[in-house]
Order: sequence, then structure tokens, then C-alpha cells
Amino acid sequence: MTGAATHWHAPRSLREALDLREDYGDETVVVAGGTFLGVLINNGVLAPEAMLSLRDVPELRRIEIGRELTLGAMVTHREVENHPEVRRLWPALAHMFSLVASPRIRNRATVGGVLADADYASDPPSMLAALGARVVLEGPRGRRELPVEDFILGLYETAIGSDELLTSVVVPGGHEAAVYRKFRTRSHEDRPCVSVAAARHSGRLRVVVGAAAMQPQFFPDVCGMGASPREIADEYAGRIDALSDARGSAEYRRRVVAVEVRRAIEETHHG
Amino acid sequence: MNCTLHLNGTETALGVDGKDMLLNVLRDEVGLTSVRGTCGIGLCGTCTVIVDGQTTASCILPVGLADGKEVTTIEGVPSDDPVKVAFEKANAFQCGYCTPGMILTARAFLDENPDPTDDEIAEALAGNICRCGCYVKIADAVRLAAGMLRDEKVAA
Repeated sequence: MTGAATHWHAPRSLREALDLREDYGDETVVVAGGTFLGVLINNGVLAPEAMLSLRDVPELRRIEIGRELTLGAMVTHREVENHPEVRRLWPALAHMFSLVASPRIRNRATVGGVLADADYASDPPSMLAALGARVVLEGPRGRRELPVEDFILGLYETAIGSDELLTSVVVPGGHEAAVYRKFRTRSHEDRPCVSVAAARHSGRLRVVVGAAAMQPQFFPDVCGMGASPREIADEYAGRIDALSDARGSAEYRRRVVAVEVRRAIEETHHG
Repeated sequence: MNCTLHLNGTETALGVDGKDMLLNVLRDEVGLTSVRGTCGIGLCGTCTVIVDGQTTASCILPVGLADGKEVTTIEGVPSDDPVKVAFEKANAFQCGYCTPGMILTARAFLDENPDPTDDEIAEALAGNICRCGCYVKIADAVRLAAGMLRDEKVAA
């Protein structure tokens, strides 16, 4: 037991959850699957006095498939990975989720949670950004959508207002090709040193590099310059302000980016 | 908060702090020390329990999220369960520290995939670490258990 007991809010509808969020703001920690918060609490980084659990909000568990894919914030990684229609129509997305950590973690970790955490070493943000996905935020001023690359502002920093909840993610469909490459420096590492997601939609290429810097790296002008895979990859390697951590130094990461971006773009040509 | 776990088939009411981890509640409040805390970040698998049919890292699950759920630890798996029997037959352990997590992971995995390939077994168990390095025999045990479970189905 650590300190005073936490006040535990467990709303049973989205309306109730949004009202609680508006009333309590950031002092009440929103919990989705708990896999990231659990680590923070165990390490003493976080000792929340109150928590707002989204576990029992049915509206956040929906998977809707049309021309676009809508994933409710509380849909788990495992549900995306195993959903037959998602696997058929968004195979790179399903594959990417299957590469996160272990089944035990994917059973709990949610689509909304991983985006709201904005951890630089998570897999989903770069893939979702490459697919042109939008994050849906709801609050007292209504509903707004932001592209994933504009939603993640920095390390553990997002555009979620203190009275808003991330309610779903919308992923466009109809890509000609989509690829996710996860580069690990050790076979036991769950997390990428560098990840590269590349997708083509209506002839336009989007390449997003994850885990190499504090937030997903996307350079639309480079993608649109009609250059060769190698030229685009070299430009990405030059522009990314790479970070150093246990999985690789900045210099090492830039070299990996140059190789992995080229390979990812080449793979989009080969289906 | 008041929290009710359907723990190994028994309704168990507990007064807990919702942010305490399920692992600590199971060990310290209920006395189920088969559930082991090691890495504290969901990586090693020794704290694995089954929550509503799905393996879960109890070391990073705030217990508030387990309220009202079915929780199974190794004590909830009968001693004649084919997976337990297969682990014994295959000698799939040395010190036994990782074994509860391994068996529970294998149990949930075989419910989902009754006829797995070797690669699928390796992938399913990749998140459970055995420091004695018994992986070859553990994989043997899962294969053996899969066969026993399929035979059970045919017989039934």
C-alpha cells in the first residue's frame, strides 16, 4: 500500500466519463489498459490520488469498418491484431500490433492508451501516422480530429486538453501499399531502436520514422519530391535529430534510419 | 475501494487501493505466492495470471481494473490438467520459479490455438523468461499438452 487510497472513478457511459473528465481534469489520471501506468506507479514516477477508468465505457470498445477503420480508444492491441477484416483490409496495421511486446501485454494495452502515452519507443504511432490516421478528441467544446503527427507534441506530450478524452482513432482505407519495419538491436528487446512505417495512398508516399527521436518523424516535402528510395532515406537520416538510449546512440540510429527507410520504401513497390 | 475478484472460482471480496497492483493483492492480501513479482514492468512473465480468459501481467495491472473479473492463478488449474501433466512429464523446469507463469501462458494459448506450429509456440511463450534455460523442454511440454488436449476432445 502506498499512501492514501486512490479515489477510483469507473463511469459506465461516455457521457459520464466526459463529465468526470471535465470536472476533475488532469489531477485525475485517466487509465485505459493500465500497462504503462502500472510501470510508472511501480517506479514511483506516479502516485495518483484519483483515477478515471475507461474500462466500463462500452462506446470506446467499438471497431467499425467502412471506407475507413474506426478503432475505439479501449480496443486492445490484440483485438486489432486478430480481427479478420482488419487483417484483410489493413494488413500492415494488424501486423504492426502483433509485434508489440508479448501477447500478455497486447491483451491489455489499448489503441487510445498507447497514443495518449506518447512514448517515443512505442510501435503504433509511426504506423498510424503513415496510414494518415486521425485521433478523435471529445470534450465540452465538442469533437475534434487531429492527424496523429500533429497530436503527439513531444515525449509524453499530446494535444489532449485537460477536459478532453481521446475517444477513437480513424484510419483511412484503400492504400496501395503499407509496410512496417521494426528494427531491434537485441532479440530480447520488445521495443524498436528504429521503426519505419511507409504507406502509399492515391500515389502519394508517407514515410514516418518512430523511436528514433522524441516524436514520430514525418517530412512530407521529402516524401513528395519524387526521389529514389535511397535519396529519401538519406534525407530522413540527415534531418532527424536522433536520440541516444540503451537501444542505440544517435549516430547509430541515423545510420539505421538510412537503411531502414530505403528498405521500407522499396517494399512498398513490391507490394 | 471494494473489489470483488472471481478468484479461482471463488468470489473474493477485498478492500483495496485501486492503484495497487493485482500481483501485490494476490500475494499479500490473499496469500497466493505462486504469482511472482520479478521485473515489475510486464516483461518477464513470472507474474502471469489469466483475467477473463486472457493472460495478463499482474505486476502492472492496477487492481481496480480487475474488479468483477475472473482471475485464475496456477492454484485454479486442476492437478490433472493436461498442461500441468505435460510439464511434469516433459520435465519442463529446473527451479520452477517461472513455471506457474509458463503453464498459465500455455493454458490460455492452447485454448486459442489447439494445434500450434513450433513457431507459434515460440512466439506465444516469448514473453516468459526461464532463467534456467529450459526452453526446449518447455516447448516439448506445450506440444505434448496440445496433443493431450486434442485427444481429450476426440474422446469426449
